[in-house]
Amino acid sequence: MNLFTQAIISGLMTGAVYALLAIGLVLTYRTTRLINLAHGETFAIGGVTAAALITAGVPMYGALASAVVAATAFMLVLHRFVLRPRAHWPISGLILITLGVAFVVRGLLLLWIGPDMVSFSRLFAGPPIRLLGGALPKQGLFLIALGFGLAAAVALFLGLTRKGKELLATAENADASQLLGVNVEAVRLLAYGIAGALGGISAVILVPLISVDFQAGLSMTLRGFIAAAIAGMSPVGAILAGLGLGLLEGLVTTYIGALSQDPIVFFALICLAVWQSRKIRFGGVRRA
Amino acid sequence: MKTALLIIAAALYAASPYLGVLPGWTPSVATVATFIALSLIGMNLIFGVAGMLAFGQAAIVALPGYVAGMLEASGMPAAAAIPAGILAAVAAARIVGEIFIRLPGTYFAIGTLGFAFVMEGVARAFPSTTGGASGLMLSREIVLGELGWYVLALATLAAGIACYVWFLRGSMLRTLRQVRHDELAAEVLGIDVVRTKLRVFTVGSVFSAVGGVFLAHYVGVVVPDSAGVIRSLEQLAMVIIGGAGSAAGPLVGAALVQWLFVAAGEAGRFEVLVYGAGFLLAVLFAPEGIVGLVRRGWAGLAPARKAAPISVPATPVPGVAAVRRSGICLKVESVAKNFGGLQAVDNVSLEVPFGVIVALIGPNGAGKTTLYNILSGIEEPSSGRVLIEDSDMASVPPHRRARHVGRSFQVARLVPQMSVLENVAVRADQLGFTSEAARLAAAGAQLAWFGLGELAGRRAAELGSGYHKLVELARAAVGEPALLLLDEPAVGLAPEEIERLCHFLTLLRERGAAILIVEHNVALVARIAERIFVMNQGRIIAAGTGPEIMADPKVREAYLGALE
Repeated sequence: MNLFTQAIISGLMTGAVYALLAIGLVLTYRTTRLINLAHGETFAIGGVTAAALITAGVPMYGALASAVVAATAFMLVLHRFVLRPRAHWPISGLILITLGVAFVVRGLLLLWIGPDMVSFSRLFAGPPIRLLGGALPKQGLFLIALGFGLAAAVALFLGLTRKGKELLATAENADASQLLGVNVEAVRLLAYGIAGALGGISAVILVPLISVDFQAGLSMTLRGFIAAAIAGMSPVGAILAGLGLGLLEGLVTTYIGALSQDPIVFFALICLAVWQSRKIRFGGVRRA
Repeated sequence: MKTALLIIAAALYAASPYLGVLPGWTPSVATVATFIALSLIGMNLIFGVAGMLAFGQAAIVALPGYVAGMLEASGMPAAAAIPAGILAAVAAARIVGEIFIRLPGTYFAIGTLGFAFVMEGVARAFPSTTGGASGLMLSREIVLGELGWYVLALATLAAGIACYVWFLRGSMLRTLRQVRHDELAAEVLGIDVVRTKLRVFTVGSVFSAVGGVFLAHYVGVVVPDSAGVIRSLEQLAMVIIGGAGSAAGPLVGAALVQWLFVAAGEAGRFEVLVYGAGFLLAVLFAPEGIVGLVRRGWAGLAPARKAAPISVPATPVPGVAAVRRSGICLKVESVAKNFGGLQAVDNVSLEVPFGVIVALIGPNGAGKTTLYNILSGIEEPSSGRVLIEDSDMASVPPHRRARHVGRSFQVARLVPQMSVLENVAVRADQLGFTSEAARLAAAGAQLAWFGLGELAGRRAAELGSGYHKLVELARAAVGEPALLLLDEPAVGLAPEEIERLCHFLTLLRERGAAILIVEHNVALVARIAERIFVMNQGRIIAAGTGPEIMADPKVREAYLGALE
């Protein structure tokens, strides 16, 4: 077995998930200027819902679809009924709300499925594909293809379609977009909906490979944020940054050892912060 | 009255575990809650007062326990291991702060969150040194009875609250409120924002570490969970539920939450949800927490307190004498600034002499505000030089230019929750007065000089936007800086307020200040400015006196469109 190939394969799989999470964070950030700390909960909700429904005997595809719907609905409700009525709050207050929501989701998931890891069987069973001395599970191939495919589709949607351009215009200047006839609230809702769906989809494909527990959300938010921040909050960049972060994690865990994945992504965050600080000349002050 | 009530409340709290009124509130629960409250003073300072989103503070609370425990295991006496642990935790906090505080707030939030993830992971990953998942046992050297520990907890908490109050004395609270509300205005007023935030995070982390190391030794063990993200959020929840930003908040939050869990029996699975729901409900509906609710209820019961009139001296501040200066104050030498492909400022040169009002006019988007940002140090010019009083400003950050430069903003940037006097005092704080009384006197005198003395005690939020502009002008002129940069000082002013503005500007000019104003009110500009520069599309297209400018065809074209 070739270690390097295996590291790349696992990096591609996690990278696909990080790309999906990062692009979701970018979407919500660029429409509402808010880092949504409850974003990773879409992953936890999706994974836990699918596992619980399948255990309860719901047919596979029904359970997976419900999981994605649950994650999407969570984001829509969060934006429509929690964040939007408080749009005039200072950003730090809104960030606290999203953190509180993440906390509550955690508590509810713990009540629902308990403290143990849960999982469910793969969509694509069968022996892994042998490739250049590495083993790639069929589900993993599906994950890589669908993850990067969806992320690319969203990036294309943003760059090429009218709705997508409206979305980015809202990001640049919500008031001006509103005056030009863009339905800003509808666009924001769309962004939150897409972000939620991407989180749910990433969960239903990845969870059979690694399993999930009630507290997976915040650590997924952390990873998504790091990829999104490396990308400077650009959709295309988020895909590349997600891929890069996944590969880094795969290589480091393979060659240096899986001490824990958290120190690795945290180290990436530190490097990013130090790099960004060079550009800031006079302290972390926003412009007038 | 208030002091007596506070003493009674403190005595009641101290005696409460021995009264037997509250089920489950035993001395050992009270000791734990009291040590937690001590550690939460740090979170309260960092988050509650300074508004910084520190989401990983549990790591700073648990770290000294781990360090001390490892040192004790290698044979060091607890008396030496405990200070070493505190030192290590504060050093770690300082490093995290140095890395993340320079960046926008979200980075600090995510950075501290990540730090807690890492600390918890590391504590689990090395069972031989950290005890792994089952935790690290600590020295049993400190032999104190139940009452002894409780008294120690009360004494350290009392000392902690005293230190908190002492830290926020004088101008510190004002400075932190200014930084929290508006970092850019704070920097332009002369506050070193990064250094201030670093200081608060470091000092707050001292409280976290001291409370944490005592708690760990009382309980006898530290576990990985206690360093992690969930615990960090629980600590944040306790501060918010108790009352963020008030001295009693941490104690109220810690005692209430700890007691609720004991009283409810084995909370088990519900614990995360209860904390989460408490946190969310407090953030959504009672942002000032229980202390805030009590305070509001009390204010409703008690007869409305009359605001004490603030005595304002009728004469200008002694020491701020008219400074007769001559020569050129501000020299801008071929300054350019481009954002990507956009040339916002293109080869601009101008001079502002002392004792002269110079105006800069031009259509929207001409580059005037960008030029102001370059002059006050917020933006770096792509090329060219800015000289103020003959010294090159290239590497001088905004807060160090503040002594020479007073700036007002297009939309006045005051802190609405602070009084007018406090808002003006923020600039006086930066000018080297040694006592709080002197700073407030200087601010009061400045207001009186501007004829705004009767507003001193009013909250900025209560005033109209016209007064905001005048107060901001008074603030910018505290200490009579050599250069005043005023961004549309007359916008939103009523005609009689504009008269007032002209009067003050003329007075300041007579006292020798160099004044540069950006203004759209051409009549006003023509009346008070000796020299007018017209900017369009980043360039200066005309310069001269009022009548000369009005007659210039290029200016009319820029304003009215092509006249061919």
